[in-house]
Amino acid sequence: MSDLLRGVAVAMAIARKDALSELRGRQAAGSTIFFAAIVLLLFGFALGPDSRRLSEASPGLLWLAIVFGGLLTMARLHQLEADDGAFEQLALYPVDRRAIYAGKALAGAVAMLVLGGLLLPVVAILYAIPIGAAWLPLLLAVVLGAIGFAAIGTAYAGLTVRMRAREVMLPLLMLPIVAPLLLAAVKATVAALGGDPLGELWSWLQLLVAFDVIMLVAGAGTYGFLLED
Amino acid sequence: MKTRILGFVALAAVIGAAVNGLFVVPADLNQGDAQRIMYVHVASAWLAYSSFGVTALAGLAYLIRRDLRLDALALAGAEVGVMFTAFAIWGGMMWGKPVWGVYWQWEDPRLTTTALLLALYIGYLLLRRLTDDPARRAARAAVVGLIAAVDIPIVHFSVIWWRGLHQGPTIGDPSRILNPSAPLQFVLALLAMLAAFTLVWVYLLIRRYQLARLEWQLEEDARRGRVRAAQQAAVSRPAVEEPAR
Amino acid sequence: MTDAGFVIAAYGVILGGIGLYAAMLARRLRSARDASRHGDEVDAER
Repeated sequence: MSDLLRGVAVAMAIARKDALSELRGRQAAGSTIFFAAIVLLLFGFALGPDSRRLSEASPGLLWLAIVFGGLLTMARLHQLEADDGAFEQLALYPVDRRAIYAGKALAGAVAMLVLGGLLLPVVAILYAIPIGAAWLPLLLAVVLGAIGFAAIGTAYAGLTVRMRAREVMLPLLMLPIVAPLLLAAVKATVAALGGDPLGELWSWLQLLVAFDVIMLVAGAGTYGFLLED
Repeated sequence: MKTRILGFVALAAVIGAAVNGLFVVPADLNQGDAQRIMYVHVASAWLAYSSFGVTALAGLAYLIRRDLRLDALALAGAEVGVMFTAFAIWGGMMWGKPVWGVYWQWEDPRLTTTALLLALYIGYLLLRRLTDDPARRAARAAVVGLIAAVDIPIVHFSVIWWRGLHQGPTIGDPSRILNPSAPLQFVLALLAMLAAFTLVWVYLLIRRYQLARLEWQLEEDARRGRVRAAQQAAVSRPAVEEPAR
Repeated sequence: MTDAGFVIAAYGVILGGIGLYAAMLARRLRSARDASRHGDEVDAER
């Protein structure tokens, strides 16, 4: 039991450290959010100016912007440790690897949640989406998507951050893996915004939960092997 | 020697199954000659997914036992697998154009899942290529292979739900050939091709595994040779340098 | 392309691809075995 408590304490400590460096980090987090917003703007130029077509496409565009911003976010959360050589030190520290993973994944999920949450109003304005009553299921979709993305992002960022060609390896590995997450999140968003006429919102949210659980287990199980590197 | 025999048997089996599928079996009433493509398409897909299983399981076994021979097997599975995956997609496209009228259709869950499988394989192989240290490469590859393997079932279910109400035309459904009520000749032709391809698959896996072991041994020897040469140079150097001082 | 064209394209690429891959493996195996044998000889000489 005390092992569990110590693990939780370690995880919270790591998450707090990451959150602090995000807040202090010379506008890096803000830049990423701004980048994602610009991506949304550019989608407008690429697919517009017909606003009906844009608002039909908007759930997909929102989640694409979250994914692109998310790739930068996950890389950033691991970059600091990589640059300082802290990964090697973390590997020496006699604590359960899963606790380290949990801490970093938690930090990642929060960062993704902030990203997604801030992009919702941007999408609402740019593509004229009336969010209104749908805000709760939308938020739920964003939370579940954030957790899933951070779950796999933490593992893969830990893996790629010390590699050659790391800028391309993280997206290259992440994008195929998150395809089902993207699919389900977009479908859930569409259902939520449309008032869920087919009653499928719950199914898509369940798929997101399944993805999250599987990736969290896989990430926690394999993170130790990546640290030993 | 046994592998060579396997190779010849596999070759004969493939030729036999191909001749059967192309000339002996009649064309389908609805899909015409294009239906013959299903024999190689389904067989390729079957082996593409089986290879993935080999790579994932071999990687898992490596993480447990740290035997680099398991990593060689994982690599063999991935390389052979990416080839069969590409073939499966190619076959699907060649079948799709005459039957659907298009090379690609998003509503076919197997096609989209297999395309994602290709992307996962390519990422796996690139990851391996960009990592030099054998142990590190094996560990990273094993993690990626495992995570990709658990992703595939999720992808499969999600794209099936995705299609939802958009049922494709049943005549143009590739899975018709797997229907138990399909004509016996077609089923037998498919099984024959499957068996032949499986023999080919085992043969290729063995050869690729042997190649990996040999090439890594050569790399290791080269590395040790360089170390030995450097050590010898260090031993003989002081006698040469002193006069210069 | 007639249907036959697609069938030929499918079988040709797939079976041909398998053949090419097998041939490539055979070639690389041969040269690796030669290199390994050469290395053994050099080691024996030392």
